[in-house]
Amino acid sequence: MRKSGNQEIRKSGNPEASATEQILDLLLEALLERQAIRQAQEEPGLDRVAPPFPVPPPAVEPSAPQPIAAARPTGEPEPGEEGWVPPPPLSSLNLGRTLGRLLLALAVLVVVINVPITRYGTSLARLMPDTASLVIRDGLVLKGSGTEIYVLENDKLRWISSLEAFEFFDYRWDQVHVVDDSFLEKFEKGGPIHVLLKCQGSPHIYALENGKKRWIKDIPTFEAEGYVWGDVKLVTCDYLRRLPDGPPIPEDAGPPPQP
Amino acid sequence: MKDLAIIETILRNRYHFFNEIREGIGLPEKMRAMLVSSIAFLALYGAVMGSTHSLWQALSSAAKLPILFLATLIVCSPTLYFFNVLFGSKQSLTQNIALILTAITVTAVLLLSFAPITLFFLLTTSHYQFFKLLNVAIFAIAGGMGVLFLSQGMRVVAASGQEGTSARRWVLRLWILVYGFVGSQMAWTLRPFIGAPSMQFELFRQLGGNFYANVLVSIAEILGFVVVK
Repeated sequence: MRKSGNQEIRKSGNPEASATEQILDLLLEALLERQAIRQAQEEPGLDRVAPPFPVPPPAVEPSAPQPIAAARPTGEPEPGEEGWVPPPPLSSLNLGRTLGRLLLALAVLVVVINVPITRYGTSLARLMPDTASLVIRDGLVLKGSGTEIYVLENDKLRWISSLEAFEFFDYRWDQVHVVDDSFLEKFEKGGPIHVLLKCQGSPHIYALENGKKRWIKDIPTFEAEGYVWGDVKLVTCDYLRRLPDGPPIPEDAGPPPQP
Repeated sequence: MKDLAIIETILRNRYHFFNEIREGIGLPEKMRAMLVSSIAFLALYGAVMGSTHSLWQALSSAAKLPILFLATLIVCSPTLYFFNVLFGSKQSLTQNIALILTAITVTAVLLLSFAPITLFFLLTTSHYQFFKLLNVAIFAIAGGMGVLFLSQGMRVVAASGQEGTSARRWVLRLWILVYGFVGSQMAWTLRPFIGAPSMQFELFRQLGGNFYANVLVSIAEILGFVVVK
């Protein structure tokens, strides 16, 4: 038999056997050993045949991942598992009281930062200059270092020509964002925003600019300036007469008539 | 003050707390205490956020932030409950709601702990997009910790029904995703919470866009790629 033959060779320890033969013998032994293990695994019902020589335990690769369950100490149930007992409760730190104090302190701070502290009604929370926090959109009201106030429309800055215009178009002072002049320079200038005034008993229309009324000569001029009838505000003739005259539109239109 | 004591139980003795929920001990009292403390914490954090814009925005955000969390709870809890039942859970709807309230309470208390930081940045910077992203990050951290608590609680409370444990874990993971999506969409619907400084106060902003696109645009603006119009 081959097996006994191998054993004989091994036992004889023939000193004349070459190194190649010895390697081949070792390989053969390893193959037979592996075959015996496989057969034992495949046929669990059969009587296992003892390997011809002591079988070393199957080698476990050091890098092979171990199942997590095997790593856990056995007999200690996980939270929620059967037999699990919650750990003993920790002593109180009076966290409720600490939280209550924190809540109170923050509530006081929130009130304090919302109290207006400047004459313009600005609170501490909104005191920082806000150039960087603007969301650029139509209707944004901006002011540079000068007195002019602009409104942004279609990416163009339109100068609001008078306080009357500012109020007429329902702008409010808290909407005005003071920004750097360099920020205003980023935008193209659009046509100024005027308020057009007219009184019931007069056909004449005036543009209000810097507190002065400017007579608009005729309808073609009115249309050429880009005015619309919806902007015309009806006031009393007395109010119109009290306003000082500015240069007419166009400026060579001659002396302005009184309403 | 008595209701705030529940925070200590949740944070320090959470397994006892979850065990009591499992046993159904004092559920109504627990839920009331969690509800009261979360509303107080969220309202205060909302007021801090809204203070950047105006007093009205502060009041509005103080009211809207608790609504955001509670509305998300109402919308999402039936899904979690019925899917858990489907996979063999024996928990009641009240236990489910108590667990989600625990997550909300943890989120709320963490938000409160972040409030001094938010206040600091509110007073020292005026960059709207930065402030918005800071808050998104704070909410993400606090919300993440909240759902971590929910996950731990669910493991303890669901122990009575061992059948389908693995499936229920997957249900919880998917539910957390859904909860995040519903929460962010709810926040988008109830916006503004901070209020763009150049815009007037509005209780609710016109709908349009979505939360994720807005966050991406904010990041892009901070990095100088776009200007928000």
